[in-house]
Amino acid sequence: MDNGATMHLAVSLCPGTTDASRGAEPEFDRLARFAQKAEAAGLDMVLLADAAPASGGDAANRQVPFEATTLLAALATVTSRIGLVAMASTVAHQPYNLARRFASLDIISHGRAGWHATMAQAPREAANFSRPGGFSRDDFRRRTEEYIGIVQGLWTGWDADALLFDKGGGRFHDPDRMHLLDHKGEFFSVRGPLNVARSPQDRPVLVLSGLSVSDMDIAARTADVILLEERPAEETKASRDDLKRRVAARGRDPDAVKVLMDVLPVTGGEPAGLADKLEEQFRSTSCDGFNILMPAELSAIDDFVDLVLPELRRRDLFRQGYRGATLRSHLGLGGGGDQ
Amino acid sequence: MTAASRQMKLGAFLWATGHHIAAWRHPQAHVTAGIDIDHYIQLARTAEAAKFDLLFCEDAAGLREADVGIASQTSRSIGFEPISLLSALAVQTSRIGLVSTASTSYNEPYGLARTFLSLDHLSGGRAGWNLVTSASQIEAANFGSTGLRPHADRYERAREFAEVVTGLWHGKLDGTSGSGHDGQSFSVRGPLDLPRSPQGAPVMVQAGASDVGRDLAARTADVVFTAAQTFEEAKAFYDDLKGRLAAYGRERDDIKIMPGVAPVVAETEAEAREKYEELQELIPDDVGVALLSSYLSIADLWRYPIDGPLPELPATEGMQSRQALVIEQSRRDNLSIRQLARHFAGARGHWRIVGTAAQVADELQARFEGGAADGFNVMPSYFPGELDAFATLVVPELQRRGLFRKDYEGHTLREHLGLRRPA
Ligand SMILES: Cc1cc2nc3c(=O)[nH]c(=O)nc-3n(C[C@H](O)[C@H](O)[C@H](O)COP(=O)(O)O)c2cc1C
Repeated sequence: MDNGATMHLAVSLCPGTTDASRGAEPEFDRLARFAQKAEAAGLDMVLLADAAPASGGDAANRQVPFEATTLLAALATVTSRIGLVAMASTVAHQPYNLARRFASLDIISHGRAGWHATMAQAPREAANFSRPGGFSRDDFRRRTEEYIGIVQGLWTGWDADALLFDKGGGRFHDPDRMHLLDHKGEFFSVRGPLNVARSPQDRPVLVLSGLSVSDMDIAARTADVILLEERPAEETKASRDDLKRRVAARGRDPDAVKVLMDVLPVTGGEPAGLADKLEEQFRSTSCDGFNILMPAELSAIDDFVDLVLPELRRRDLFRQGYRGATLRSHLGLGGGGDQ
Repeated sequence: MTAASRQMKLGAFLWATGHHIAAWRHPQAHVTAGIDIDHYIQLARTAEAAKFDLLFCEDAAGLREADVGIASQTSRSIGFEPISLLSALAVQTSRIGLVSTASTSYNEPYGLARTFLSLDHLSGGRAGWNLVTSASQIEAANFGSTGLRPHADRYERAREFAEVVTGLWHGKLDGTSGSGHDGQSFSVRGPLDLPRSPQGAPVMVQAGASDVGRDLAARTADVVFTAAQTFEEAKAFYDDLKGRLAAYGRERDDIKIMPGVAPVVAETEAEAREKYEELQELIPDDVGVALLSSYLSIADLWRYPIDGPLPELPATEGMQSRQALVIEQSRRDNLSIRQLARHFAGARGHWRIVGTAAQVADELQARFEGGAADGFNVMPSYFPGELDAFATLVVPELQRRGLFRKDYEGHTLREHLGLRRPA
């Protein structure tokens, strides 16, 4: 558990426009070096965006030619400590499939995976998923809430000690330590269990963004990390306090949910300038840290890691290196699996 | 290609701790396979060093056994989800093809097309999709409350699904007005937000064996997997499927048919037999019978005397072809439920060969040259030992005979398989 003195830092790889002619393999190598650089610097996690599939002429013109969960799996094999979080849409995937994909990613990465879900509906997406009309705002909220409950329920369907591997006795697992979900709800009906073992970090980390005021209770009940868009410090502080109050009201430890603020790094500025800005916002908003949005360019991560981070460390605002091996442990969340 | 230079294609079919139902209990089986990514990276490298065309992952979105007690005696209840597994393997290998199964019943075509295209980019053009319609009630219960849809409905959805996926991969659904798909099950505007596949489009694989399944394969597949025990069955399937291609304007060589083969190979025949018997001894009766029940799509086989014959069975909405195969074998060889259960548990209805490398190669050669196969999907009994045995004993024997490549001819899966690049 951290004492609030140091911040948590995530970097977000944002798709932007670039020429698609660069070819796939160098593209992955470049992303791998980006993640490795962030890892060498001891950052908590890399967030992999998954842009809403666009309809229109510019659709193929993305920076990253990979879908985020497949990219996460590949990056997991070329890193060993940093957390890896992929955005995945509740419209594009059935909850069983999504829960299973992330449970598997968590085992591939030895407990470093997270799912970034957004409460905001991407209207363009619906047109490619047989939902031309999309969902009403209210339906979408209730559906997302139900969806998240299913995913988190499936993630805990197998007890950590369920696998016996007892060759002689012929008992592979203990059937009493495997639990059906038996969910029957308004939008989904899911029996379970997953056919993937329990996560090495108890369960994948849930990151939520795109919250409107009416989503705060859902977030307070389910999220491990909440991302807030960059806004004036007083507004952020108010949202953060409101969220932590709601977390406590749900009987959860307020420290079990980390509130991170999105930040666009000012490029070309003085490194001390960004460090000042982060310090100032960290203190004035009482947030738990930042999600630095950057283009998937090595120069962007290089600048941040080589120039800004030493400054934050000099001021004791960011920890030196990793203490544990799982994403939960980096974030100071409970149930990290390697205490 | 001339008959003399035609070479067989080989798939390495990965499955939990091994294809034998009791594999995980074998002293040399890697029992923690389902939670050990390094184990899979090692298997992939072994198969790639042996120049296999592809790795193949089967899939089901749910448990395999309805009975939790039975499930707990097998290693098949937990494992990696295959698309994440193959994405990890994509950047840890450089040549071998990567084929994952995914269901048309529980996915949407846009998402699936996008995910496989991403795997294709990660691997530099080595991805393939095995289209299945998912015949299990257990899976159905994870996706709604209405149960398994009828066979014909599943295949109608699959046909439309495949059409949308290939339309997206080939850039036909490009988001321009009027180009979108608006069908019975799906409405998709397109385009995909990823660049075109390095191999034109990921490879399409299918393993349907019913009449409608074969038609879908003839229409859409580049590769077909099948289960066939005898030469005659394999040949009949091969001729039937190749014969359906002309109706879709395709040529016989446009589809590679790769039946499953479950070899148990050792330096001597006696050792191979011993290895096989050792595995068979490890199958608990209740597990064998449960597995047989699932192939027959009936729930209560355990009610019948285990040393008696199979009861009369009603028609099934599940896997029609697999049921027919089991019934035929039981009649032909006059087998009891126990005998059938052991037999099918061992190789899961696929073709079993027990012997030396030369004996295994003889049999593969006979089917390959006899016009019953373009290659084989190799199903090692347990991992890693039996994949190693095939790679070090059988592959060199096939290479000596000129029946299998000594090095990859190209870089993409289409190139390995000798498939045309789609326009
Ligand atoms: C080698 C092989 C692999 C298969 N893999 C899967 C699989 O991973 N998941 C699945 O649901 N069905 C799988 N099947 C079943 C087939 O997709 C198909 O449903 C079955 O052969 C019955 O044919 P039908 O669907 O035309 O009745 C496989 C079949 C074969 C021969």
